[in-house]
Amino acid sequence: MKFPWGDGEQRKKELNEEIASHLQLAARDRESRGESAAQAGRAARRELGNAGVIQDVTHDQWAWTWLEDLLQDLRYATRTLRKNPGFTMIAVLTLALGIGANTAIFSLVNGVLLRPLPYAQPDRLVGTTQYYPKGPLVVMRQQSRTMELVGVSDNKEFNLTGSGDPVRLIGNSVSADFFSMLGAQPAMGRTFHDGEDQPDKDRVVILSRKLWEQRFQADPNIVGRWITLEGVDREIVGVMPAEFRFPSPKTELWVPLHLDPRDTGDYWGDSYMALIGRLRSGATLEQARAELKTMRPLVLAAYAWRMPDNSFVNATIVSLEEAIVGDARGKLLILLGAVSLLLLIACANVANLLLARATTREREVAVRVALGASRWRILRQLITESVLLSLLGGALGIGVAVGGLSIMKASLPADTPRLEDVALDGRVLAFTAVLAILTGVIFGLVPALGASKVDMTATLKSGGQRNASGGNHRASKLLVVGEVAVSMILVIAAGLLVKSLWILSGTSPGFRSERVVTARITPNEMFCEVPGRCLAFYDELLQRTRALPGVKSVAAVNGLPLGGGAEIFPGAIEAHPTAAGAHVPMFWEKIVTRDYLQIMNIPVLRGRAFTDADSAADAQAVVIVSKTTAEHFWPGKDAVGEHFRPAWEKEWRTVVGVVGDVREFSITQNAASWIDGVIYTPYGPHAIRGSGAAAPPAEMTLVIETAGEQLQIAGELKNTVASLNHDVPVSQIRPLKNWVAEAMAEPRSTSALFAVFAGLALLLGAVGIYGVVSYSVAQRTREIGIRMALGARRQEVLLLVVGQGAKLALAGVAIGIAGGLMLTRLLSGLLYGVYATDPLTYGAVAILLMFVALAACFLPARRAMRVDPMVALRYE
Amino acid sequence: MKQPYRNRVELLQGTLDLLILQTLRWGAQHGYGIALAIRANSGDILQVDTGSLYPALHRLERQKLIAAEWKLSENNQRVRVYRLSVAGKKKLAAERSRWAQISQAIAGILGPAGEESEA
Repeated sequence: MKFPWGDGEQRKKELNEEIASHLQLAARDRESRGESAAQAGRAARRELGNAGVIQDVTHDQWAWTWLEDLLQDLRYATRTLRKNPGFTMIAVLTLALGIGANTAIFSLVNGVLLRPLPYAQPDRLVGTTQYYPKGPLVVMRQQSRTMELVGVSDNKEFNLTGSGDPVRLIGNSVSADFFSMLGAQPAMGRTFHDGEDQPDKDRVVILSRKLWEQRFQADPNIVGRWITLEGVDREIVGVMPAEFRFPSPKTELWVPLHLDPRDTGDYWGDSYMALIGRLRSGATLEQARAELKTMRPLVLAAYAWRMPDNSFVNATIVSLEEAIVGDARGKLLILLGAVSLLLLIACANVANLLLARATTREREVAVRVALGASRWRILRQLITESVLLSLLGGALGIGVAVGGLSIMKASLPADTPRLEDVALDGRVLAFTAVLAILTGVIFGLVPALGASKVDMTATLKSGGQRNASGGNHRASKLLVVGEVAVSMILVIAAGLLVKSLWILSGTSPGFRSERVVTARITPNEMFCEVPGRCLAFYDELLQRTRALPGVKSVAAVNGLPLGGGAEIFPGAIEAHPTAAGAHVPMFWEKIVTRDYLQIMNIPVLRGRAFTDADSAADAQAVVIVSKTTAEHFWPGKDAVGEHFRPAWEKEWRTVVGVVGDVREFSITQNAASWIDGVIYTPYGPHAIRGSGAAAPPAEMTLVIETAGEQLQIAGELKNTVASLNHDVPVSQIRPLKNWVAEAMAEPRSTSALFAVFAGLALLLGAVGIYGVVSYSVAQRTREIGIRMALGARRQEVLLLVVGQGAKLALAGVAIGIAGGLMLTRLLSGLLYGVYATDPLTYGAVAILLMFVALAACFLPARRAMRVDPMVALRYE
Repeated sequence: MKQPYRNRVELLQGTLDLLILQTLRWGAQHGYGIALAIRANSGDILQVDTGSLYPALHRLERQKLIAAEWKLSENNQRVRVYRLSVAGKKKLAAERSRWAQISQAIAGILGPAGEESEA
């Protein structure tokens, strides 16, 4: 702001002088007309009035008038809004829904995508897109000039024994310099020293703060204590602060990687893990990517055996954020897009309300124009009003967002990356404030421009008569068409997602999940290294469990379908010899006891299931394959009698049965896409283990068929296990159907969110149509009266009104279908068993929308039908 | 002689601005001169209250519709003189046509009533 007079004191002085000169001029005039000097001075002063007041008022012209104008506008807006509580409430609620939904989704986006990772210099952190075993990690750590690389295993389970009840803890094996690379400081004690990932030096562990508090009663002298994890004694060297949650919030402890090249299978072939790193100073992401490519031949050359030529060929380096967030990014952006469409609908609705009101306010505006208000001033007043509305909506919207966010956080799949970082922080609130103001300007601008353009003469002349302004009504019709179109898109999207969820829940996962209880039994791996000990343990456990009340049958399996774990092994098919250097087929490993197939209701399609005899040490080794596996390797033939072996064995094993496919990997996929088949082996000496270990796996899951849906056996089961072995934890006692429900959590939460958006969109769309149609009925009361006086029947009036609404809705639906065809392609990654252009969904949604639109027309139509021609003609 | 107050007309807000701009069209003038000119040109009907005049002048100055500078009058008195700016000339043209509209509108409302009373 420019003050031509400099500071205020100077201006006051000059103003004083200006008034004084006025007085002198007036007095001189009077003297020249013959008055005495004293008389003239007195008269001039009297005529002038109170000089002090004049100076003050004049001086005020230079004050912060825009601020005063704003306050005046706000006062006026508040008064106007308070005078129309119905309008204000509908508008504020509509906006609160729109802004609140956006705030909630934005806080998800903010927490997952925007917030920097809570580690030192997070922009320098990177990760590989593929997993590597320990050997390649060591080779690349030595070679890399662009990155410091460390390894981080996926979540693993550890038995904590020797201090109270045995428990199962979740932990990760990490490189010794993992913490220092991230720049993380311990809350107590220390992090790992260099070299502590070497054999014989790795008997250390670091606890999470949560574990320290819950399991060790926050013992201040914990550092230096020894605990037994998986039968290995480890010294607690540190406790990490609560904010440190890498690689997952579930992590309860960290142990060093056990880098032992003598254990060839583990070092080169097994324990695949994520590699993360920090770019060295000066190095760029591109350089790191290029370097990863040049290191690949070195890594393959370091192997003791020949790796397939295409091993690790697709691996690249991405920012750590990207590596962590992965697929969630696309889904979140789709949600954000959907919710902003919702806000658009809300805006259109409120704009429509304002348009309708603008017509009734024409006279008010005309009077203000006549009194000298400029168009800009009127525009500003109207915009102030709409921004005030949207700010109220925004404030209420934060409440909506808080509620919505807590529901969302609870319903989103627990493994959504960085969900724990999601909160309504300052950035989210700033987003909401900006959104509210923008919203107010956007929905306020069109009506305000229309209203401020009022033809003063015409409006004032027409006296009390309302001036039907065609322009406004055309604008509001356009808004409604747009609104219906956008609602249509949202409802189509929701329809497609709900349909795919419906198809998903209708598809059988390949096994029965009712009346089956699962329990994870986890002896230490070492426990099974003694020949026969594990076999005897499980034999006994199954027998005793079978005898528990309410138990009909029980079996054990190495990993549940949809349980998240996967053991993979390379295999060979007699009928399909693998050429040297070619891709070795990989198989999903299922190790089961006799009754597993029967309890899970997995059908035996050909051949037979396992018998007790198959588990005997001297029995011939046999396998069972899944249906898809049989069709893939022996198409058109009977797989039973064909031969298979794990890649490292010499003897062929006979296929004795073919069983139905099971959704092992995810609810939409039997096995991961890069797996060639599923192989069942009997628990016992002939179990095939991906690790190549001869002993059967120690950790098994019991599947217990119960008489009803009961978990009462939990206590007795624990007692049974404890009576067999004190050091074996029992965990995850839960119905099998919970596992299935969890696998559905992601598609379910997405569909639910979209269904909510679509419901709101429908509601707002209906309100919009209702508003426009009932406004037009009010405008056309006289016309309708004339029509009725001329003999139009009520049905015809009804058709007239409903037809008008139907036309708008049809136009919106048509545009919405076109928009849907364009936009729902983005959804295809989230759909299952339904195309993004599914005509059935489009048709059903179109019918639904038309139905809602017609319902919204019904009330105003009924009002039109009741028009009394006499009253209508006298009216106005 | 004291002016009879009943002859004074309260000016609508905005109208005074128009009168000031119109007066300055004939050349730069100080506040007292403007007041005199308005009174004279309206046949003594429109009395500009000083308490309205100076706020209006400063408001117009701030809106850059008029510009002010200190000068010496014929009898060597320091006076603050106002003149019309380019924006002010445009504003004046716009305000004149608006005024024409208002008076037409008001005449439209009053016209029939006047005829009735005469009839």
